[in-house]
Amino acid sequence: MSTAALPARETPLRLLASTDHKRIALSACALSLLFFAAGGVLALVMRTQLAADGGVVSQDTYNELFTMHGSTMIYLFVVPIALAVGLYVVPLQVGATAVAGPRAALAGLWLFASGGVVMWSGFLSTSGAAKASWWGFDPLSDSVHSPGSGMELWIVGVALVTLGQLIWAGCVLLTALRRRAPGMTLMRMPVFTWTMVATCLLTVFAFPALVLAMALLWAQRHFGGVFVGGIGAVDYQDLFWFYGHPVVYVMFFPFVGMVGEVLATFSSRRFFGYSAFVVAVLAFSGLSMTVWAHHMFTMGSAVTSNEYFALTSTLLIVPAGIEYFDFFGTIWRGSLRFTTAFLFALGFVLQFLIGGLTGVIVASPPLDYHLNMSYFVVAHFHYTIFAGGAFGLFGGIYYWFPKVTGVLLREGLGKLHFLLMAIGTNLTFFPMFILGAEGMTRRIAAYPASTGWMGLNQLETAGAFTIALSAAVFAFNVVLSLRSRRAAGPDPWAAQTLEWATSSPPPPHNFDSLPPIRSYAPLLDLRQAREAQTSTAEVAA
Amino acid sequence: MPSTRHAYEHVSSIYFPIAIGVFAALGLILAYLLIAGALRRRPGGRSEAMKVEMPYAALLACVVGFLLFTTYRAEGSIDRPVARPGLRLRVTAAQWSWRFEYPNGVTVTAVSTWRPPLAYVPTGTEVEVLGRSLDVIHGFWIPRLRFMRQLLPEMSTRFDLLFSEPGRYEGVCAVYCGLRHDEMHFAIEAVSPQEFSRWLASGGRHT
Repeated sequence: MSTAALPARETPLRLLASTDHKRIALSACALSLLFFAAGGVLALVMRTQLAADGGVVSQDTYNELFTMHGSTMIYLFVVPIALAVGLYVVPLQVGATAVAGPRAALAGLWLFASGGVVMWSGFLSTSGAAKASWWGFDPLSDSVHSPGSGMELWIVGVALVTLGQLIWAGCVLLTALRRRAPGMTLMRMPVFTWTMVATCLLTVFAFPALVLAMALLWAQRHFGGVFVGGIGAVDYQDLFWFYGHPVVYVMFFPFVGMVGEVLATFSSRRFFGYSAFVVAVLAFSGLSMTVWAHHMFTMGSAVTSNEYFALTSTLLIVPAGIEYFDFFGTIWRGSLRFTTAFLFALGFVLQFLIGGLTGVIVASPPLDYHLNMSYFVVAHFHYTIFAGGAFGLFGGIYYWFPKVTGVLLREGLGKLHFLLMAIGTNLTFFPMFILGAEGMTRRIAAYPASTGWMGLNQLETAGAFTIALSAAVFAFNVVLSLRSRRAAGPDPWAAQTLEWATSSPPPPHNFDSLPPIRSYAPLLDLRQAREAQTSTAEVAA
Repeated sequence: MPSTRHAYEHVSSIYFPIAIGVFAALGLILAYLLIAGALRRRPGGRSEAMKVEMPYAALLACVVGFLLFTTYRAEGSIDRPVARPGLRLRVTAAQWSWRFEYPNGVTVTAVSTWRPPLAYVPTGTEVEVLGRSLDVIHGFWIPRLRFMRQLLPEMSTRFDLLFSEPGRYEGVCAVYCGLRHDEMHFAIEAVSPQEFSRWLASGGRHT
């Protein structure tokens, strides 16, 4: 290895045309984080509008803002970055030299990038960007009620990014199933890899429904006659939510896996309840394919089968409860190291719990009839996707950043980032539970002054700017750490899985040699064997 | 006959305390684990405990059963159609206003953007609502009744409402429906059956 030439200097073209899964994933992560910033700016404008008495932007602009905020965060940030982390880490965790289908994975990157640009280019059109919400419900999204090219660009953009994500999921799934190193049996795959397998299975089964929905919506706009009347509107929602609920778990499982790895590593202990966890994640993903129409409870039992979907949705308590049991079991009897990554993982555990418990509440039709389209639901899903998912993601970023770049992030700035983000998140989203239960509707550019909601809205806006500040601290941390470099070495955390058995960053072929793989924590096995040897030697001496 | 509000309050009086209790309990356990774990030098303990996880999963399934029992009973009381409603009210939604039609032909609509429609209903009477939309999907939400139902284009949706107490019930469109979604308000005034009959007989003039 020492004779290997230094890698040629990166050029943008080399970076964007590489078929190395690590380059593709890194470009995808960088692009997703850019979209995260852009979607966040839209949210800040919305929050400013709601803190003031309207009047910052027009209704028309506000409708574009929340449509593009939701679309950006889901289609262009959380889903792609979750899959991209999988694209980077899964081949390493299973000891593969490359991802399965490297050229397809590169095509996925290009589909993602072009879809994102197409969707956002709606802002340049005369009628503005799409304004039919991230659901694009028919008939609001048809050519009569949403004329103009913004909506067209949104449909094409969503179809392109979804195709790209579908391809990535196929690549990651095949890598985990077909490219594992000798000794890496299915039941020795790391926790994160298992959650990515579940994620990719969901993606492969559910995402084609969205591509189809977009194709049909496009046909509806140009030829008509696809979605007709009330039942046509129901048909679109069935198709959309058949994608739209599984995608909620695509934005959950990868972060569960990241948090599992982080908790185990910084508890200096093997992940607890591995086999129960694997069964729970697989059962979870199967069950989550059967819950979509709980988004349609308020259409009434004549249209949907509310009892059935309440049953499947509430049953999710069982696998989710087992996952939490295993998180707690991992910390239990651990020797804890309170790194930034560990703090973010703890933030995920506690804050996602709020999202999950309120999810049980809205899974009950009599409660959902009131809360369904209110700010309560807005609070609920931001607690799952942002207070949960984004915290898990940042846990993963602080954890794997040294592996990907070869340098450590600053821990002090990282902890400041965590503190600000935790304060900002709860200030922003907790009051929404109260406002929603009091009757504040989603997606409104203004509310009557007589409601008395302005105080809590201003609190939320202050929270949103605190989140923005925390993101700035993170960006500064990244720039500082890359400029004045502190070398990380191959394994700065005393971690447990194979990606830490190679250099940081890993070479193009990933591994020069692999340690023996006898469990889902091969590096921990090595350390324990070494400790056992030392103590035997001491006894013998 | 319990109202939608009654059903909501019954179910939420069971669900919310459980949710808060679970959060508090797990928060306390986590705090203990973190303090103990920060002081521990050498990790220990086992990494599998199927004998604990299986009964635990069964316990969770029992909780699910209990929650669903509560939910199904309450949902039945809301969704089961009333045999003899005291009033049949047609509600029509369209971008961005409402129309209420009574069996005798009386119609209530918005006076202007700033004066949303004000419909009257009798208290303590089952009101059967037949709702539909003329264009996109709208949401007929009366927060005080803790109830919302989506109104679909060219398709009737029926549901029953009970206004137990007299007074003003503010309503709003809950499902995003385009440019002026946030302005789509309505109000319902619940009055005694006698007063309601007078109002209806007078052709819906405001009293």
